[in-house]
Amino acid sequence: MKRTHNIILAAALAAAIAGCSSTPEQPIAELETARAIVPQVESSPRAGVAAQNVSDARKALDSANAMMEKGGKVDDIRYEASIAATNAQIANEKILEAQAKEEIAKGESERQQVLAEAREREAVAARDRASSLEQELKDLKAKKTDRGLVLTLGDVLFDTGKATLKPGAFATLDRLANALREDPSRRVVIEGHTDNTGSDEFNQQLSENRAMSVQSALMQRGVSGDQISAMGKGEGYPVASNDNAAGRQQNRRVELIFTEDNSGQRVATD
Amino acid sequence: MSMPLTRSLTIAIGASALTLLTACGGVTEMTRQQVARSETAVNQAQASLGTSEAGAIELQQAKNYFSQAQKAVEAKDDVQAQRYANQAELNAQLSVAKSHKASARKAADELLASIQTLRQETNRAPAQ
Repeated sequence: MKRTHNIILAAALAAAIAGCSSTPEQPIAELETARAIVPQVESSPRAGVAAQNVSDARKALDSANAMMEKGGKVDDIRYEASIAATNAQIANEKILEAQAKEEIAKGESERQQVLAEAREREAVAARDRASSLEQELKDLKAKKTDRGLVLTLGDVLFDTGKATLKPGAFATLDRLANALREDPSRRVVIEGHTDNTGSDEFNQQLSENRAMSVQSALMQRGVSGDQISAMGKGEGYPVASNDNAAGRQQNRRVELIFTEDNSGQRVATD
Repeated sequence: MSMPLTRSLTIAIGASALTLLTACGGVTEMTRQQVARSETAVNQAQASLGTSEAGAIELQQAKNYFSQAQKAVEAKDDVQAQRYANQAELNAQLSVAKSHKASARKAADELLASIQTLRQETNRAPAQ
């Protein structure tokens, strides 16, 4: 009976001693954590963004270590270690935030670069498209005039006195349509002209119809209507004499005038 | 009652009062200020986080520490009040740091993804 009392007393005493002071045999989890993560944030190249937290963490860890050496109270060690660990965690979050922000800054300039590259590529493509139309017009013997590049479709491409295009015009129209489709910024003005044979009204109507039929042929080949305008000019703008057959044939024509972009250089109608 | 008895009683009361004061003699002004600071820190963290998930656990921890600090003040335990208040403040800071980190990371990831998409699009776009 008395022995039991003694044992209980001894156990209580031991518990009291372990509880309130002296270095424990068990490692303190908070201290282990702090010892692991404080050096990590200290060695980060971005530690500067959290200098205060890093130095607070170090101070608290040193103090916890010192208490551990001297056999300080577990609660005190635990407290200092948790202050060290939390400061180190805050530092770590700030470091990671700084890292993400660096990526954002780098990404912003990278994005600008990608966009610039895309614009450059687009500009090159536009130049290529433009030059392909130039090439087509050159091949088709378009004439450079102060109104722009003028391509003449001769009378032989139409049925006599009619506005219907002959199949002989199709190859030319195909090439023009392709070139115009590739370069939507180009505009073309289609003008119909006649010789002075027949009434003014008839000639005006015929010149209009021929211009329209070239317009619709281009549109059938996929060219946007926005790029094209068509008008009949009648017999008033001959390019040769109407006194002989050869001259009259030259005057019966449809002209396609290609202007630069939509820069308002649309050909004057007069 | 005789004089000496009254006197010794007074001394006894005085002594025990003194002991009481030193043992749990309330909380110093410095500690009260620290507790008040931690409350501000917790409230600011709460406002800063909003409903953000990042940092929510640490904010809850900060709140717990703060209420323990308040209890320690009531119990007139100066050391514990100070410690809990410090831990509340640090955890509030940690919760804000976590939420800032999370939004910076999210923004960075989104930006990197958008660059990726942009690259793919410009590479795919044919020169017609």
